[in-house]
Amino acid sequence: MMKAKNILALLLGAATVLVSGFSWAADELVIYSGRKDKFVEPVMEKFTEQTGIKVLLHSGKSTALLNKMKIEGARTQADLYLSNDAGNLQKGAEFGLFKSLDEALVKDIPASLRGSDNSWVGLSARARVLVVSKNARDLDWVKSVFDLADPRLKGRLGITHSANESYIAGVTVYMESVGEARTKAWLEGMKANVDGSVFNKHSKIVKAVATGQKDVGLVNHYYIYRHLAKDANAPIAIRLPDQDGMGVAWNVAGVALSKYSKKQALAEKFIAFMVSEQGQKIFAEANNEYPTRPGVVAAAAVPAAGSYKVADVPMVKLGQKRDATIDLIEAVGMP
Amino acid sequence: MAGIVVLTATVPLLFVIYSSMQLSASKWAGLWSSRLPELIGNTLSLAVVVAILCLLLAVPSAWLAARRDFVGRKLAIWLLVLPLTIPTYVFAHIYTVLLEPDGWLGQIWQGIAGKGAVVDIYGLGGAASMLALATFSYVFLLSYTSLIDSRRSLEDAARIHGASRWQVFQRVTLPLMRPALAAGLIVVVLHALSDFGAVSMLRYQTFTLSIYLQMSGRFDYQAAAGLSLILVSMSLAFLVLERFFRRQQRYYAGAQTRFVVRKQATAAETVLIWSWLGGVSLFAFIIPLGWMLAWSYEALVQDLIDAKFWGYTLNTGLVSLTAATVAVMVALPIGLFHSRMRSWLSTTYVQLSSIGFVLPGPVVALGAIAFVIAVMPNLYGGFAVLIMALVVRFLPLAVQAQESALSQLTPSVEQAGRIHGAGPLQNLRRVVLPMIRNGMITAWVLVFIDVLKELPATLMLRPVGFDTLPIRIWIEASEEMLELAAPAALMLVLGTLPALWIMMRSHAVRR
Repeated sequence: MMKAKNILALLLGAATVLVSGFSWAADELVIYSGRKDKFVEPVMEKFTEQTGIKVLLHSGKSTALLNKMKIEGARTQADLYLSNDAGNLQKGAEFGLFKSLDEALVKDIPASLRGSDNSWVGLSARARVLVVSKNARDLDWVKSVFDLADPRLKGRLGITHSANESYIAGVTVYMESVGEARTKAWLEGMKANVDGSVFNKHSKIVKAVATGQKDVGLVNHYYIYRHLAKDANAPIAIRLPDQDGMGVAWNVAGVALSKYSKKQALAEKFIAFMVSEQGQKIFAEANNEYPTRPGVVAAAAVPAAGSYKVADVPMVKLGQKRDATIDLIEAVGMP
Repeated sequence: MAGIVVLTATVPLLFVIYSSMQLSASKWAGLWSSRLPELIGNTLSLAVVVAILCLLLAVPSAWLAARRDFVGRKLAIWLLVLPLTIPTYVFAHIYTVLLEPDGWLGQIWQGIAGKGAVVDIYGLGGAASMLALATFSYVFLLSYTSLIDSRRSLEDAARIHGASRWQVFQRVTLPLMRPALAAGLIVVVLHALSDFGAVSMLRYQTFTLSIYLQMSGRFDYQAAAGLSLILVSMSLAFLVLERFFRRQQRYYAGAQTRFVVRKQATAAETVLIWSWLGGVSLFAFIIPLGWMLAWSYEALVQDLIDAKFWGYTLNTGLVSLTAATVAVMVALPIGLFHSRMRSWLSTTYVQLSSIGFVLPGPVVALGAIAFVIAVMPNLYGGFAVLIMALVVRFLPLAVQAQESALSQLTPSVEQAGRIHGAGPLQNLRRVVLPMIRNGMITAWVLVFIDVLKELPATLMLRPVGFDTLPIRIWIEASEEMLELAAPAALMLVLGTLPALWIMMRSHAVRR
């Protein structure tokens, strides 16, 4: 028993030391981040180097972190919230978790890529595109995402499971562009084409197309370049859909300022850096995305922004119409 | 004392009940019509298939290891316990990667079944296999312990009265194993019901996955709470079932009887035994280990293992040590209460304490956040909240293991202590604790291992900037950064070794 007590005392002591050891410093910014560390760290390090302000990443799933902020309320330790999905950012705004940013701070980013009342600001954009196999025959007719519902693609199509946030965001854009009835018919066609077999990750769709398991897939553009970076000779190509119609669906990753942050001035500095030309370049390039600030160019391999048609749907819709989109997806019973 | 512990353990449940009461009747109706029947079917089939697979994997292995002496027996036991160190999501991840057309196993399969053949790991079969591989060791461990602890006299008596070997197994050994099997299976079933990692990776719609989707897709905590409540009811049904199988069963061992002797296996038997045990451990441990080693080597070559990595390792160890110690200590009163003063109240206590285990991690986590912010806001954001949630989550493991040890304790020994003038505390310290030491160690190690692997609650509740290995595995694996996930997974295996060693030694002391 004595021994057990000693061990316990030792453990508690160690715990106390460690707890005080890792707790964040008072001038350190805490970001609840739903984005992979690897894609945030480069820009964070540059920011710290230039301003001396330290940043602590608290990573997790975007939605889980938003749930956490919601339940934490004024107790939250988050100064900033970073997500890969405009839908989540807009949801957070609707929950009243964020503070509106000054127009002067975010004026360089197009209004359609920000939240209503500037409650959040988009930092980098991804395009929802087709990945096609160079070896597949008879695919030239696939020019629109709606062609993916064509029975000719039965067994040849790769899509993610329907809980994926990029997938949901894409469906919202299509629903806004062509209406609910057509989107529903499209989902039903795709459901028949994949026959219950969907992928849990975009990267696996690209891989399946590269290995010839599938002929065409619906993915975010950067997954194609990530695969090509590992295997430059992979027989895959990007195809920008709907150039004669609604245009390519975009979604943005963005940042918001917590209403309960006690370091608002520092947090605003961080946002100012993120929308600056330098911050924009580093942030987007880490993942081959498009900087949201006009004039800052994306990585050379990626089709240039402005060289193709993008669907005209403001990003706030991704949050406002999210529940409706999920209702539709569930009504169809997409896997 | 037991009451306080149980009360704390039910906090998340109260939160869930409270939240689901705010769910309107129409939303309940919507949930019911749209998904419930399918979810119930899916979840139940998963639990049943996993339980059957675990029995098939564990019972023959345990019997062989406990009753036959063969070359490398100790090694075999280790190989059969080690799968415990690998989280279900790591199993799912490894096997999906390996079974892809260009993976190790995928290529072998194409060699056997012809080019283009793909093993479909998605769905019930895959999810159940992964969960069985990850959890059958619980059943193995508990059956093995019970087999080597059982006394020779009963089996000898049966043999003397003319029973065949099979009859002895069927009518003496198996019934004696029943409490252990029930305890092991309930742990497995509860794991299956609350598993999130593997089912989400293999896309098998269960309650837990659906609860998560309600929370992440729609931010609908109330609907999630409603579904959780149904999940809890299902789990309680399983628990009641388990109690039913164990009812009125108490076996006491007299002090003078001898343990069962292991029979020496012949060379041919040894080959047969090893082809079975080797086959099981090949899939449950050796292949995953090979994958981890291969990618860890890659990480080492690329110089990816840095100071941060060791920080995550330290954090993981700290959380697991603290949570396991606290869980074992708080579980003792419940176990004692139940085994000494068995009543409807004690049964209720034991069952209520199991709730944390079946509530999905994210639900426990949100419940803990809400409770702490409302009741003791100053603690919020610290280490204590994380530990509290983890203890609540894994308390049942500790209760089960200690209680099955306590139930084998003969009351007369304790009564003898009391007659000789020992007070209740002295009796506890000098008689009860030494006798259930093995049970306590098992309890500690089981909780330690589970906390080590825990993902969803840690993800929500860890103090800001406090990352553990599972969190890193999750972050890296979700972006296909295999060379970063593998060393963390390997470190989890290594970290568990000392704990397992302590537990195995405690059994070896006796036999």
